Amino acid sequence: MTNKIAPGFKQIAVEDFRLTEEPFYLPLRDEVELFETAYADKVPVLLKGPTGAGKTRFVEYMSWRLHNRGGHGGHEEGVPLITVACHEDLTASDLVGRYLLEGDETRWIDGPVTRAVKNGAICYLDEVVEARKDTTVLIHPLTDYRRLLPVEKRGELLEAADGFLLVMSYNPGYQSAIKDLKHSTRQRFIAIEFDYPPRDQEAIIVQRESHVDAAIAMELAKLAEKVRNLKEHGLGEGVSTRLLVYAGKLIHGGISPRRACQVSIVWALTDDREVQRSIEEVVASIFDD
Amino acid sequence: MSIADDLTTRYAADLRGFGAALPDDFATGVRAMATLLPETAVEAWAKAGVELANSSLRAWEAAAEYFRASPALVDRLGVEGIARWVVLATDLSSRSSLIAAQFLKSTPDALAVLQPDDLDEWAQQGDRLCRGNWKSIALSQLYFQVSPALFQSLPLASVSRLVDIVDQLTERSYEVATTALEGAVQIFAGLPAVDREPFLRFARAVTRASWADTRLYFERGPRLLDRIESSQRTAFLDLAGRVTTEVGRQGFPLFSDAAEALGGLPLEQHSAYIAFAARIAAGSPTAAMEYLKSAAFVATRLNPDQRSLWEREGLEIVTVERNPEGAEAYFRLESTRAEERMRALSTRVELASINSMLRMYAKALSGEPVSVQSAEELVDRGIGWVTESTPTTEGSTIYLPPYVATFEEQEANFQVYKVFTTHQTGRMEFGSFDYAWDVPGTYVAATGPRREVAATMRREERGIAAAKAEAVTAVQRLFNCFDDRALIAGLFTVVEDTRIDALVAREYGGIRRWLRQLQEHEIVRRPKVEEMALRQAFVENLLRASLGMPEAIRWPVMLREYMTEGIAALRMVEQRGATVQDSAEVAGALYDIAASIPNVRAPMPDGKFDFEGATQEMMDVLPSMPGGGDGPDMPSNSQEAAFENPPQPDFRGDFKPELVQLMAKLKLQQEGGVDPGGALTKEQLMELLQNSTELSIAELADGDIDQSLGMFLDNLQKDAGMPASDKKGEKKDGDSDATDGGDGEGPDEGEMPVEITWFYYDEWDFRAGDYRPRWTRVGERFSAEGDREFYEETLRRHHGLVMETRRQFEMMRPESFKKIKRLEDGDELDTDLAIEFHVDKKAGAGPTQRIYNRRNKIERDVAVAFLLDMSASTDEEIEKQKVKHSKDDDDDDFDGDPRRYFQWLAARRAQAMIEPPKRIIDLEKESTVLIVEALEAIGDAYGIFGFSGYGRDNVEFHVIKNLDEQMSDRVQRRISKIEPIRSTRMGPAIRHTIHKLEEYDAKVKILILVSDGRPQDHGYGRDRTEKEYAVHDTKQALVEAKRLGITPFLITVDKEGHDYLKQMCDDIGYEVVDDIESLPRRLPTLYRHLAAD
Repeated sequence: MTNKIAPGFKQIAVEDFRLTEEPFYLPLRDEVELFETAYADKVPVLLKGPTGAGKTRFVEYMSWRLHNRGGHGGHEEGVPLITVACHEDLTASDLVGRYLLEGDETRWIDGPVTRAVKNGAICYLDEVVEARKDTTVLIHPLTDYRRLLPVEKRGELLEAADGFLLVMSYNPGYQSAIKDLKHSTRQRFIAIEFDYPPRDQEAIIVQRESHVDAAIAMELAKLAEKVRNLKEHGLGEGVSTRLLVYAGKLIHGGISPRRACQVSIVWALTDDREVQRSIEEVVASIFDD
Repeated sequence: MSIADDLTTRYAADLRGFGAALPDDFATGVRAMATLLPETAVEAWAKAGVELANSSLRAWEAAAEYFRASPALVDRLGVEGIARWVVLATDLSSRSSLIAAQFLKSTPDALAVLQPDDLDEWAQQGDRLCRGNWKSIALSQLYFQVSPALFQSLPLASVSRLVDIVDQLTERSYEVATTALEGAVQIFAGLPAVDREPFLRFARAVTRASWADTRLYFERGPRLLDRIESSQRTAFLDLAGRVTTEVGRQGFPLFSDAAEALGGLPLEQHSAYIAFAARIAAGSPTAAMEYLKSAAFVATRLNPDQRSLWEREGLEIVTVERNPEGAEAYFRLESTRAEERMRALSTRVELASINSMLRMYAKALSGEPVSVQSAEELVDRGIGWVTESTPTTEGSTIYLPPYVATFEEQEANFQVYKVFTTHQTGRMEFGSFDYAWDVPGTYVAATGPRREVAATMRREERGIAAAKAEAVTAVQRLFNCFDDRALIAGLFTVVEDTRIDALVAREYGGIRRWLRQLQEHEIVRRPKVEEMALRQAFVENLLRASLGMPEAIRWPVMLREYMTEGIAALRMVEQRGATVQDSAEVAGALYDIAASIPNVRAPMPDGKFDFEGATQEMMDVLPSMPGGGDGPDMPSNSQEAAFENPPQPDFRGDFKPELVQLMAKLKLQQEGGVDPGGALTKEQLMELLQNSTELSIAELADGDIDQSLGMFLDNLQKDAGMPASDKKGEKKDGDSDATDGGDGEGPDEGEMPVEITWFYYDEWDFRAGDYRPRWTRVGERFSAEGDREFYEETLRRHHGLVMETRRQFEMMRPESFKKIKRLEDGDELDTDLAIEFHVDKKAGAGPTQRIYNRRNKIERDVAVAFLLDMSASTDEEIEKQKVKHSKDDDDDDFDGDPRRYFQWLAARRAQAMIEPPKRIIDLEKESTVLIVEALEAIGDAYGIFGFSGYGRDNVEFHVIKNLDEQMSDRVQRRISKIEPIRSTRMGPAIRHTIHKLEEYDAKVKILILVSDGRPQDHGYGRDRTEKEYAVHDTKQALVEAKRLGITPFLITVDKEGHDYLKQMCDDIGYEVVDDIESLPRRLPTLYRHLAAD
């Protein structure tokens, strides 16, 4: 039984993942500088902000940037990026590692955090509040001066390699009170706030990512601004830049703007018919067809 | 001696002793008769008269009439006729001499119409009415009195039918019968001949169905009929008659309403309406009348073609579906189907149906928490806006006309609303109200200060007193710089609207097309510019230019450069980046041009006034500000007309920057904001209002101006005091619409006005098999707060029970982490299983791979809403209820020993003093306390609500604790304040609770209704005694809950509950708690079973 592998498929160990091409990221304020400084001083970073505002892209960009700067912080090999998407069933052993049966014996498999610690990678815990609270406590010793990861099951303590940095992302908007970050956790990070970029800059991002022309990108950014006005007034969350890019890609591919917005923005945002209708009307006001 | 003298002498004795005049009457009569009849006949005549006089106590009065009337009748009746006549009279006289007398007296008049042969029947009719008592005698007498006049308009046979009616009425009320008879003469005389018979036919039907309505029918019928097309009245009356025969007492009200409604429709359509109604009547008479009743309304919504489609669907409910009740509801417009059908057919768009959508749209565009309301509301607020038909805004709310029917297509009308809304939000988005003093525009420098100085100098020159108070708003200050405030305000409006339109067209490509369409629609409706005085024509032409219709401009050739300059200036604000400051400056420049044009009406000396349309060159001007210049060389001998602004295009609506800025300022002040201008004085405000051209003159015309202004100011200030955007009409979701009523009602409110949020729900009409749309209005409010004593006292008294339930509930609480074994993947290896695995593998026994363990967090995710019946019946004391059910206890206990009885009574009273008797509501409250304690232990989300109310408009929904609210002091206080109020309309209360549960996110949702009896409310059913309707609606509401994944459960303490609960609950859980006092214990137990999953 052989697995067919499509061309373009790559399989690499997580700790070997490095960005080879510069991801597009448009700095809005001083976030790049802040991150670089924090990285140099080993201060863990919390990225706050709504979904699709560019948090993940920012981390990718930073890992590429730190990598290509070489020398900076003494990492000639560059900085690998290990991303963990957190979910509510994520357990401590998912992060740290576990024993697996192999043949006649058990074998220890490192979890992503352990690998990052060992390899001096940026460990990015995406949507960290989704993880069970007991798991987040696990990272506490990693985040202060100790930079240690206890591996209970093996009775070991791992000291983080030099390039290691813990980065978490967190969307304060939609989570209920139950799913808030513990103070003991959040007070171990500096926080960089992300918000949707202003209209002009967002248009640049949309244009760059989706290849639509500048005018359409501008209209999409305008639409986004209008739709975001509805946050808390029918919408739990504003439309993300990511969705705008999707819309732009569809338009670029020949779909009519109204239809493209309908599928990539209106329907993606809400299931409430009334709200959908309102947003569709905003779309119809901005795009003629 | 003549026969006359002979007879006079003969009967002198017999006639003596009656009225003094009787012998004379006799003598006169007999003399006259003697000349007409042979002797024998005269003798017989005299004899009959005397016999009549003696036939009963006061029969002589009748005889007198006989003697007087006879001579005139000889010709008509002949000898035999007279003889028969007097026999009839004598017969009547045996009933009452009064009747006989009236009969005799009226005969000559009656015979003017009747044939002598008819006398028998006539007499008989009168006779029928007499039943021997004095009231009937009077009625019978009245009959003979009025019937000659009646015969003028009705044949004898018809009068006979009228007598039937009157006769039937006498069984109920002589008064009504008398009035009917009295009125009949006039009524029938007033009706056209052809209508009389049908009128009478329907009268019979009405009397049979509901005697009391006869009087109403006689009173109002003719007037109602009058408005119906004359050839259709018979058909309509016959239809009404058929309906009445079928439906009984409802017949007349239906007739009356239908006639009223029909009267409002064009006469030529009546036949079609009545013919269609007759078709419906074949299957459902009531529906036919309901159809007529709503016809006028339907006609406003649908054109004839659409209407006939709508009607046909209604008819099919009768003919195909055979559901008369459904058709009734349909034509009464109380069915969802009727409304939906109408909405689908109508091209007219109602604000109500798109209001919340537009509100969100406006919020999106403007980024402000705006609300959208009907313009009627703004007019009602009395703060300076008076037109209901045009859109406008006062800065925080957008007001739109209640409906739009401008175009023939629904889509186009909807787009009209969008253009309206977009233009109004444009004013907010693009800062129309943000004008600031002495701030330059993007293209033009600020001239305000210079103009202000010039204005002051001008005024001083002319000796006009300077303004008494400082300007309140920047717009006011700007306008103050110009002598003609109306002109500058008008120009500012045109210019600013031009800027907004340009911005809207630029920013919203999708609107452009529709904006264009409205502009075109508008241009043909503009007043004739040719008939305007020049200055007004100038403004009008600018407006036309701004509507993008330069070809509609008409202007004298010799003054063309003024227009060109004006248009060039207007173009300034259409440029990208122009602000309201630019608008103000351009308006100022245009003012200078306009002011230099005399406001005269084209009176050129040679009689020719050369108008031309705009040339291309005129329109192609580049935006530019006009230079200074002198006015045109116009003969100034003609009187200048007073300047008046041309009307605003509808889609732009009212623009009142002065008032909006004022309101914003007042608001800021009332919110305690710091205003650099300092506090506003009353003088300042009055000054603004007096000078502002934005106030309608009409508003101030009635009465003292100062007083009106004062009132107006009050309204403004009141208005500013309300929280922005939250005034009214915040719609929350699809089927509920919330407004804060503000008008707190109900006696139990404290000093604070109770804030009520209204929601609307459909109600299920089981007969029609359809929902009645938005039928009930539920007012949600927080329950009043009492003291905590009750809560604590209950806890104390039921200490044991509280502890017990709490323990039981705590046991339900799941282990927070539960180890799940035998997984293929998990946190840790289970050593035992791993060894087993190896052993199996070595033994070749097909090992199981499930060797991992995992700890899983199991969370309870339950939300429960308790809905308590707060109807008046819960006020009943439990003791009494018990007595009701077990009467036989105490009678023999005292063995007839009064002392023991009194001792018992005294003890009981003393007991009642210490401890007031418990009522059902008290037990509901105690149960609530217990369940609250229990739920706090288990940690489930719970809400406690109470409901009551009266009528469908006022279902009270009391929030004691919301689902997402934390348990607190206040909740405890609210529990203690739960009081019996009024009725039990369960359906809407359940629906609102469903709505609350729907909004809450939980896996398991439970609704527990605690009540003491069947659902019941005013109008919750066809009539007071009907119970079916309420039961069905409640059942439907429970089914709705189930459909939404909510588990409903009913608990009642009504012992008779089993019968209707069985029907109401079907497969829904319910329990009848037999021993009421066990409710507090029972409720937590029930909950545990329900919520255990």
